[in-house]
This record gives sequence, structure tokens and C-alpha cells, in this order.
Amino acid sequence: MWLKTIYTAGIDVGSNSIKTVVMEFDNNGKNGKLLATDLNKIRKRDTKQVISQSYEHVLSKAELTTGDIAYIATTGEGEMVDFRRGHFYSMTSHSRGALFLNPDVRAIIDVGALHAKALVVDSRSKVLAYKMTSQCASGSGQFLENISRYLGIPLEDVGDLSMQSTSPEMVSGICAVLAETDVINMVSRGIPAGDILKGIHLSMGRRLINLLRSLNASGEVMITGGLANNKGFVAAMHELAENEKMNVCFCTHKLSVFAGAIGTAIWGAFRHVKLREQSIQSSEEKGG
Amino acid sequence: MSVKQIIKKCEQLYNDIDLFYVQEWKEKHKSRAIGFMPVYVPRELIHAAGMLPVGIMGAGDLLEIIKGDAYFQSYICHIPRSTIELGISNRLDCLDGMLFPAICDVIRNLSGMFKLMFKDMYVKYIDFPQNFLKTLGGNFYQHELRTMSDDFSQINNVDVNRDDLNRSIKLYNENRAVIKELYDLRSQNPHLVPGSELYLLMRASNVLEITEYTALLREYISETVCEKRPQRDNIRVVVTGVFCEQPPLALIRALENSGCFIVDDDWMLGARFILGDVALSNDPINALADAYLNHTVCTASKYDQDGNKGAFLIEQVKKAKAEGVIFAAPSFCDPALLERPMQQKALNRENIPYTSFKYSENTGQFQVIKEQTGTFADSIKLWGDS
Repeated sequence: MWLKTIYTAGIDVGSNSIKTVVMEFDNNGKNGKLLATDLNKIRKRDTKQVISQSYEHVLSKAELTTGDIAYIATTGEGEMVDFRRGHFYSMTSHSRGALFLNPDVRAIIDVGALHAKALVVDSRSKVLAYKMTSQCASGSGQFLENISRYLGIPLEDVGDLSMQSTSPEMVSGICAVLAETDVINMVSRGIPAGDILKGIHLSMGRRLINLLRSLNASGEVMITGGLANNKGFVAAMHELAENEKMNVCFCTHKLSVFAGAIGTAIWGAFRHVKLREQSIQSSEEKGG
Repeated sequence: MSVKQIIKKCEQLYNDIDLFYVQEWKEKHKSRAIGFMPVYVPRELIHAAGMLPVGIMGAGDLLEIIKGDAYFQSYICHIPRSTIELGISNRLDCLDGMLFPAICDVIRNLSGMFKLMFKDMYVKYIDFPQNFLKTLGGNFYQHELRTMSDDFSQINNVDVNRDDLNRSIKLYNENRAVIKELYDLRSQNPHLVPGSELYLLMRASNVLEITEYTALLREYISETVCEKRPQRDNIRVVVTGVFCEQPPLALIRALENSGCFIVDDDWMLGARFILGDVALSNDPINALADAYLNHTVCTASKYDQDGNKGAFLIEQVKKAKAEGVIFAAPSFCDPALLERPMQQKALNRENIPYTSFKYSENTGQFQVIKEQTGTFADSIKLWGDS
């Protein structure tokens, strides 16, 4: 049988950044291989323009053209991508992406700029249960980004500074406004930045640990989304789980931030094959 | 007109809660206009008397309710509040009458309020037959129709004869045929007729004179088949429960953006209530009554003599080759919400997946609904066979 490689693109439109990947599959939509990734911060630019730039960039990295892509799949705010073929919801995409990065994962913590959620999945990445943080932004990446800006600390230094903390100062885990007020008070009291940041990581982590506990999550838990690469946050999650004697083990991956985009690209390949089969079946039926 | 221009015109009519179009029509034709609430009224009778039938579907999310809330308890749906608000803010002054078809107790009470509050207006509560025997329900309904026809003749100082009524019936038959053509086109090529566009086109039926409306639909059909629109990998769904209080336009867009092709629905149901043609005969009143008794859709607000709840919905799903059903009902809508468990039971028997939510005509936040319907779409696309 003639075997043809299938290429798909996954675009994760977040509120803060666009994550785009291109993947390669065999003719059955299996054995996915990541060819290229691109992360583009929106930074008050026109989102649609950033999406186009990111897509072009990732195609050129993979040495492909638009005509080579069999299925463009989106997740997040997918309606911003006019040229999409299909859209998959963030839970569906993140769970698939996380299992691609680590097949042993059975729960996921996805911390985006505006929302955080916990998912429990099976070995096929089917979402079995989920919980989301409620309205308040104090459990989100955007909050942490705001605080790092107030403290005058580059975002990439936040994790290391938090790890150096010896006496973390706790902040409100209920309300972003109260938490920001807490931080202002701490700064005026001369609390070291590391202790403030560790306190924030613990406060955010506690909310997420509660979500995982309510889902009875156990085993490998992957952290995805923008905070996955923040060492301080991951260390705080480990510390909290240990204190709470939870039977979970947190893991991340250097590509964790692309979990949504990877997941949606994989589902795109799956749908491409399924639609192709349906089309063949339908023409066979028509042909008698 | 291009598709864009047609939809823009429909959107203007949709936003026209002051009924400027109706006022202009009355001025131009030196005639009168009769308003009606959802779901179904025999518009042919109004048209035959030379008047303009005007659908009043509440005010959606276009009007802030200031006084309307004072008339209803908090556990009552939204459409009567906004309809009262339209009335007391003088936006319905251009209407010479209002018809309140039997839908539920709330609409019946609303008709009583209109009678008390707007004394210069002709107000009629239309009782539909609950018995579908020609000699019982049929005779009763014919009497209702004759009374209304006589009332309309009197209001507009005209003599409506058999030919007038048959002419109107013919125009509405043509209109229903074009609507069916439009729905068939959408079912076959959902990407060519987005749900939001179809909804706006259907909303135009509330005000446009029937010949103008039919011509507009024909123009849309001929234009949209030439449009180049992206093919999406969406699931095909039937949306049901939206027959009275209409969903906000943004909700329909949100459903589509969440990965659904709406391939059948029950919004603006009055325009599709009669299935097929009403016979042109020597007794057009009898023909209208016969059409109601024997050739109408099944919906929660219509008495179901067979008690086979859900059978019509299943037929809709199969005919439209839908992969699932979205139950969208207005909050506190007794007919839709009471019927829902029986319909869901019928779907369970057929293994047809569904999801359910509630809305209000002025709902402004759709994130949760989008998550829900989007995840529903994913579950069908990815796990449909497992």
C-alpha cells in the first residue's frame, strides 16, 4: 500500500501567547513526530497577525508549505484562526499533548494566563473528570506575571529566586486584588523578593492541590501551560503534595508549554484519517 | 444584493426594536399592523385583511428591563418582561393589535395584562385545539379562525373573501417552500449557510411583507451557493427547545464557534409550523384548520395526542444526519423543560448523544456554554465510536 506522510499543524491561541507546532504522522495518523515549534507572545499586537506570523514561522522551520498541511487544528481561542479546519477544546488537547510528552501521565494541571484546571485522564488521554479554578485570577499565570513586573524581576528569574527562599511569606489565595495588596505590604516591610515569590507559588499551588485532591488524582501529574517551566512553582507543588501526603508525582517537560498545540495537532491527524475513511466509504456507497 | 448585504439588512431588522420598518410600511400602504407572539399564528388571516403581521419575540439583549421586572416574579422567563417593557416604552404603539397564541400560563397572563394596559389595542388570546378530531377540535378551531378573520376585517375596514384568503395562503405556501429549500441546503452544506445567518434570515420573517421576504430568501439561496467559505470539521447537531424565547444571536455564534454545525433547529418555529402546503379550496378556513390538525410540527407548546414524546425529534435527527442534540431552553420555560426528560429518554433509547443548558434572551456570557458544547463536540468527534 502506498504510504504517505501526514503533516498537521496545531495552534494554541492563549490570552497571552500563541503556541504553534507542526507534526508528522504515518498514513494512519499514528507515530507522531514533532517537527517544529514556535511560541509568540501577543504583547498588545493584533492577535490574528501574531497567529499568521507564528504559523509561517513554524512552517519555515519545518521546511514545509501551507499546501503540505493536511489538517490545521486549533485549541484555546480557536475562532481567531480563520484558516483552521477543526477546533478541539483545551482539556481534550492538553490531555493528549501531555500523554504524548509522557505516556505514564494520568492527571494534568494546566496553568494558563487566565485559568487553571486539573484533569484526570485514562491511558487513551480521554478526560475522565476535571475541575477548574473559580472566577478569581490569583491562581493564574497572568497574576504571577503582574507580580514579577511590580517587583521589577524578569519572569525567567522568578523560579530561581523562589527556590532560594528560606522563609516564604504567604499571600491571599482567594483574591488577586488582596494578594496584590499583600505583596505591596511585604515590599514595604522589606521582605526579600524570593520569599514573596515562594509565598505566591505556595498560595497558587494550594488551590491546584485542592483541585487534584477533589478529583482523587494519583500517580504521574504533568504540569502544562505557561507555568510548567517555572522551577519555583514546580518545587512548591512537590512540597505541598509531600506535606499533604498525596500519592502524586509532578513532572514537567521542556515542551510542556506546547502541550495544547501538540495535542490538537495529534487530534487533527486522527480526524484527517477518519474523514478520509468516511469520504472513501461514502464514495463507495455512491458507486454501489 | 450580496450575501453580506442581505445579512446586514436582516441584522438591521433584528435590531429594530422601535419597529421603524413597520411604521414605514403602515405609512406607505395606509394600512395596519398586527403583532403576534411566538410560536404560531395563522398569519394568512392578517395578510388577507391587507395588514402586516409582525412577530414580537421580546427584545432579546437589546433593551434594558427597567419596569418590566415589576410585573413578573423572579421565577418567570424573560420574554414577557421585555415584551411588557416594549409596550410601556411605547415601542409597540404602531401595532393595532396583538395576538397571544397558547404557549403557557405566562403568555396567557401576558395577554390579560395587555388587555388591561393597552385598551386601544385589539388583544386576542388564541386557544388552539387540544383534540385533533375534525368534528371536535377542528370545528372549535374553525370557529376561532372565523372570529379572528371577522375581527381583522373590522379592524382594517375590509371585506375578506375566499379569494383573498386563498391568495394569502398561496403566498405563505410559497414562503414555506423556500424556507424548506433553505433548510435543506443548510443540512446538505452547513458551511454554506451558517446558523447565525439562517437565524437572522428567519428573524426577518417577523416584519418583512411576505412577498418581499420570499424574494429575499430566494436571493440569499442563489448568492450563498456561490460563496467561498472554509470547510470546517464540525459535528452536526440539532438545536431544540428554542421555540418561544429566542436565543441571543451571540449564543448561536458561540455554538458554531465551539465546533457545531446546526443542521436543524426550532427557532422561529412559527414560520415552519405547517408542514407542506395548506390546500387552496372553496373553504380556506377549513383548509387552515385541517393543516393545523394534520400537518404541523411537534413541539412542547402543542398538545401531543399520540403521547410519543421525542419521536419527532428523533426523526429530525435522522433526516438531518445529525450526530447529536443540543437542548437549549430558556430558564423557567415550563413547556421546554418539562418535555426535555421525555425527549432525552427517547434519545437514550436510540443512542443519540445530547447535552443540555439553559439561557435567557439577554444572556451575555457564553464561555461556560462554549466549553460545554465544545467538549460535547470533541466527545463525538474523538470518542464517538468508543
